[in-house]
Amino acid sequence: MYGWHGRLLRVDLTHQKVSIETIDPKLLKDYIGGRGLAIRYLYDEVDPQVEPLSPENKLIFTTGPLTATTAPTGNRYMVVTKSPLTGALAHSNSGGDFPTWMKRSGFDMYIFEGRAERPVYVWVNEDAVEIRPADHLWGKEVPETTETLLAETHPEAKVACIGPAGEKLALMAAIMNDKHRAAARSGVGAVMGSKNLKAVVAMGRKNPAFYDDAGMRALSVELSKEVGVDVKKGSNLRIYGTAYVPQVTNALGILPTRNFQSGVFEGVDKIDGVALKNTYLITHKPCYRCPISCGRLTEVPEGKYAGKGEGPEYETIASLGSACGLDDLAGLLKANYRCNELGLDTISTGLTISAAMEMYEKGILTDEQTGMPLRFGDADAVIEMVNRIGYRQGFGDVLAEGSYRLAERYDHPEMSITARKQEFPGYDPRGSQGMGLLYATSNKGASHMEGDVAYEEVFGVPVKSDPLSTEGKAELVARFQDAFALIDSGGICVFFAIRYVFTKERMVWPVRLTQLLNLTTGANYTPEEAMQAAERVYTLERLFLLKAGSGPEQDTLSPRLLTEPLPEGPAKGRVVELDKMLPEYYAYRNWPGGIPAPEKLVALGL
Amino acid sequence: MRVRVKLIANYMKLLPPGTKGNTVELEVAAGATIGAVLMPLGVPLDDSTVLLLNGYQAEADALLSEGDVITAFSAIAGG
Ligand code: SF4
Repeated sequence: MYGWHGRLLRVDLTHQKVSIETIDPKLLKDYIGGRGLAIRYLYDEVDPQVEPLSPENKLIFTTGPLTATTAPTGNRYMVVTKSPLTGALAHSNSGGDFPTWMKRSGFDMYIFEGRAERPVYVWVNEDAVEIRPADHLWGKEVPETTETLLAETHPEAKVACIGPAGEKLALMAAIMNDKHRAAARSGVGAVMGSKNLKAVVAMGRKNPAFYDDAGMRALSVELSKEVGVDVKKGSNLRIYGTAYVPQVTNALGILPTRNFQSGVFEGVDKIDGVALKNTYLITHKPCYRCPISCGRLTEVPEGKYAGKGEGPEYETIASLGSACGLDDLAGLLKANYRCNELGLDTISTGLTISAAMEMYEKGILTDEQTGMPLRFGDADAVIEMVNRIGYRQGFGDVLAEGSYRLAERYDHPEMSITARKQEFPGYDPRGSQGMGLLYATSNKGASHMEGDVAYEEVFGVPVKSDPLSTEGKAELVARFQDAFALIDSGGICVFFAIRYVFTKERMVWPVRLTQLLNLTTGANYTPEEAMQAAERVYTLERLFLLKAGSGPEQDTLSPRLLTEPLPEGPAKGRVVELDKMLPEYYAYRNWPGGIPAPEKLVALGL
Repeated sequence: MRVRVKLIANYMKLLPPGTKGNTVELEVAAGATIGAVLMPLGVPLDDSTVLLLNGYQAEADALLSEGDVITAFSAIAGG
């Protein structure tokens, strides 16, 4: 077999049993790998109605055929499970080193099932797999856990683990790999915590051969060269990381500000990539063998916010920063570092704190309930709440359930900025209509990583699309959702993929991505077949949602986005015109009433 | 008439020397277009640039009025 190992590792935590299974080659061809292969297994093995934090739920780590290859950014893995935050699907993506090491351990996928009686970690060194006690790690934060495990296993191994947040089942807990990279969203860390699984450590030297070794190497070199030319010209991602984006979204009036009460933040110059570069940036840092290198290594050298780590990404600036009214860069960095150390998703954490701040300022929450004043712009309050969420102390115990449950609890659902109970990323959809449709229909709840049409509406890639118009957005969103399913199933990074291995034909067309897949696996896809496989993946995920009870009635957004117009900026007066776009979307997908038509399922082989 | 030009991130280096921050106010001829203002600064006016006029997507041939704000940044995925 080429490209894939065709093997998975199954770890039964309840019975402390490890088994190795072969994967049906037809499944690999039909679902590609990564996110696609994982949903096939999850759908077949887990009742979608399962309680997400029960032993009956399964936690899947999955790589794609392009993970650990020479393809630029072939360094991704995904964590797939039923989400405790949304009650729908979780599929959270991360890069760094761990995914490559996981693939080299000789497996395409790890499936963790059941629940260990005591805390454990799993050490995978090729076929030597051990379930080891982790009592001594329980309660430890991410950096210490990672270092201890490297000392206990092998200095060249790589670690994915949870922090206190995951142990305590915070619904926005992430799984952190290589200390600073996160499979962040939808509470995947809580699922890991519910299984008493503290960490997974991987290494190995096994890699599947390429079907066409010379061809794969040639195309990889060609693509790396193209990236190199852009980087040389002065690419924003290299110079500023994603931290350059707040200026762009602020100019469009869609930078989340004070819990989405506005899209224009007066303090943007103090927390953007330029400010970062002039102050706390040490250097850029890539995921494994990535020529773009958008990661930021930063340090606040002294003072009460002293710390060092990676970030902030744009999404963190928008959530812990402008959404919380914060223009103190050092404070924002500290909050970011603490999220990473505790193992928290910065987006959901930031927007839960921002919801609490709005509720506090409007008198819905009192000091007695919150334990301290929660005012927009107060960095100390943000950091303190991050700490309390991570350890579920005091009011943090309430916030750890996310903004949806917070707002419901106090009878103000409009304060939670969510879709399928998951907090929004950093694009106010009232001024980027396609993003509104995307959030409403995403299988994982509000997310930019499931078909980021901001590429077109905001960044003009591969072509420009008017962010205020609803025209053509149904098709655009569906096409991007499928394209992202393909990228996530393949195992490369979206930043690279949309720009370099898709063309703008039929909105997004995976010409060179298909070549990469074929050179690696020999599967001989046409671009049509590759996109059809992606649609199969997306549709199967939708079927999981329907069975989980997260169907068409959930294809909506928090009331604020549908009824409260933006008060200022270019998108002033706008709400999301979801009622216009959603029927068009269902029609484009052939999902009458939001349910895939029988003939659609037949065509996709489902 | 006067207009403001905001060049974001890697385009900041195209601003006139001595500019503070990412925005400069310029005196331009009445009836000038976005392109006429940005061309001398060396801002690429093809698909590799996204242009906004007062926060709305615009093309290089859009006519300017007193007080307008032009924003330009390079088209690149990432966020
Ligand atoms: S572009 Fe950034 S996130 Fe993507 S692989 Fe490269 S360094 Fe990692």
